[in-house]
Amino acid sequence: MIRRVSLVVMLVIIFGFFVFSILDLEAFFSTFGKDYFFENGLSETGSVNLVTGIYLDYRLFDSLFEAGLLIAAVSGVTWISQHEITEKNATFMLDRQSTPTLFVTFSRLVYPFMLMFGIYVILFGHVSPGGGFQGGAIVATAILILYYIDVQKATSIDKILTIEKILFLTIIGVGSISFFTKGTFFTNPFDLSASEQVKAIYLITLNALIGIKVALGLVAIFTAFLKEGR
Amino acid sequence: MSPILTIIVILVGLYGLATSKNIIKSVFCVTIIESGLILLFLNLGNLEGGSIPILSGLVENIVDPIPQALMITTIVIGSTITALALMLCIKIFHHFGSIEWKEVLGREE
Repeated sequence: MIRRVSLVVMLVIIFGFFVFSILDLEAFFSTFGKDYFFENGLSETGSVNLVTGIYLDYRLFDSLFEAGLLIAAVSGVTWISQHEITEKNATFMLDRQSTPTLFVTFSRLVYPFMLMFGIYVILFGHVSPGGGFQGGAIVATAILILYYIDVQKATSIDKILTIEKILFLTIIGVGSISFFTKGTFFTNPFDLSASEQVKAIYLITLNALIGIKVALGLVAIFTAFLKEGR
Repeated sequence: MSPILTIIVILVGLYGLATSKNIIKSVFCVTIIESGLILLFLNLGNLEGGSIPILSGLVENIVDPIPQALMITTIVIGSTITALALMLCIKIFHHFGSIEWKEVLGREE
């Protein structure tokens, strides 16, 4: 009981500190960043969606580390979950007998539209809300619906991991092209005076690569959890 | 006002982390803290009402796009870290036969 009370007192003290520090939030809130991106973001990155422009151009380094962390987490999950028994796939959790027919039929209908929507979100990430990370999650959900449609379909996590590593290296390579054209790493390799359509090639390429990578990573994680269900 | 609400979410997560007896509940408390953090950052990017940072059509007074770009990173990393932690929970259950903190820590001594 004493521990609970002291814990609550500590949390109230933290809360008080936070409220005290946030009182003059207006004073140190600066609009410099967003003004800069509003004026120069489109011309410097060629991306109408400023968020995409930031994580694929100004802060591509962050995105690279995020992709690396994703691959590390996927490797960790598959390494922790490895078994001595090798089997084609996990059919005991998604037994066809227990999956309602309505669910299977509806999955068949919805599957192509989900895939199409995911690819749309990935490819139009630079002009509309979306991007590689969000679209990749949608594509992964669409691929996972395949488990309901065809339970016997085999998924090889090792192959997925290999493809992911290659994609990670490809993302670094595409980001480094600008070193040969402009002399700096991790920015748009095309000239700033080029038209928006030309500059968008770089963004679409990177968004597609990141999207495939995120989708494969999430599929690998889910498959690892399925095999754990014995 | 809304940043104060987000810190309440974070504190709820901290309280749960300190008091929960189940490992899976602890993992979910970390997720709650992360959600509060995401909301806090999205709040800090925009003090008064602004429009989305997509420069198509007539937009003025956009919100700060940097917190949004960083929070994409946080969401993806958070989901993978949660997956990793839950996989560890499964392995702990297979090894110790329980996912209560007390039993797992007591067994190891």
